[in-house]
Amino acid sequence: MRDIIRMVIVLTIICGASGLTLSTVKQVTEEPREYSYLKFVKEPSIKAVLSGYDNDPVMDRVTLTVGKDDKGQPIQKQFFPAKSGGKVTTIAFDSSAIGYGGPISVMVGVNIDGSLAAVSIMSHSETPGLGARSTEPWFTAQFKGLSLGAVGLSSKGGKVDAISGASITSAAVVKAVRDAMELFPKVKDEVTKS
Amino acid sequence: MSLATEFTKGLWKEIPPFRLVLGLCPTLAVTTAAKNGIGMGLATTFVLVCSNILVSLLRKFIPSKVRIASYIVIIASFVVIVELAMQAYFYSLYQILGIFIPLIVVNCIVLGRAEAFASKNSVVYSVADGLGMGLGFTASLTVLGSIRELLGAGNLFGAHVLWSSFEPFTFMVKAPGAFVCLGFLLGFMNIIGTKK
Repeated sequence: MRDIIRMVIVLTIICGASGLTLSTVKQVTEEPREYSYLKFVKEPSIKAVLSGYDNDPVMDRVTLTVGKDDKGQPIQKQFFPAKSGGKVTTIAFDSSAIGYGGPISVMVGVNIDGSLAAVSIMSHSETPGLGARSTEPWFTAQFKGLSLGAVGLSSKGGKVDAISGASITSAAVVKAVRDAMELFPKVKDEVTKS
Repeated sequence: MSLATEFTKGLWKEIPPFRLVLGLCPTLAVTTAAKNGIGMGLATTFVLVCSNILVSLLRKFIPSKVRIASYIVIIASFVVIVELAMQAYFYSLYQILGIFIPLIVVNCIVLGRAEAFASKNSVVYSVADGLGMGLGFTASLTVLGSIRELLGAGNLFGAHVLWSSFEPFTFMVKAPGAFVCLGFLLGFMNIIGTKK
């Protein structure tokens, strides 16, 4: 009996000490871990939509709460400002919409005047040869410099030519970009002031 | 028993993957390049030394019936610390080593040293043992990684070293290349071992 009590006590102490140590380490490394994750996983697409900046957009990122999801939980979104001479010129952030094969996530760079700097498709599960062509430069380059009113498929009066055979994908990318541009005025001040 | 022999036995006489033939899973899987070998080796060394210290300190306190469970909790904690630290400061290495970092928990070398050495010896000797074994493991992975990287990509530590017309054997950086290369090294080590 004494043996059993001793085993229980020893194991409890070891597990407790281990749990305490690990939660401390997890907290301490929280910030640098998030930074490296963004640096290695998101920075390539951030770089694709920003240009002519002299800061580290990942380091200067701003996290804001933007609306609520279906369950009423607040949605956190990260914004990556590109600064030149200390002034914010462009803000990059991601946006997504449902395409033909699933969600398409798009990194959108919006200039401070509200026009588009560039668009880059981060991930998608569209059909190869059709919807997957949305990652091709000729498609994403069409968005460059457009204002909110001009972002739309050319069949609907916009300035973006759809990918032939992939109108659902094209419309989804347009929707993701439009959502981002509609969100922009609401967050612009908060991102630029920090 | 001297401190020096406890340290050096891991470097040659009982060098883990070649003499003890332990810990082969990471040995075969991550040695596609010399840098990966060093990273994996050092991560394992850290876990090995830390777990040896703790196991040795607690050797009179842990009842023998639950010793393996206690050792595993100790080892697993250090492995998670290594994993978190890598995510924070060496993300590119973490991306390459990936699943093999959490798998250090089940690396037989770590549990083997805790059970066979640290649980019976004082802290100083356990550190020497852990450090020796860990560095031996690191050296083995680095040698294996260098050979595979050299033949498989013509590089060494990421820099191109072979002549430009050299056609790399992609075979060497794939899994079968790992087995072949390890086999040759084991054979080579045995030739040297039997000559004495």
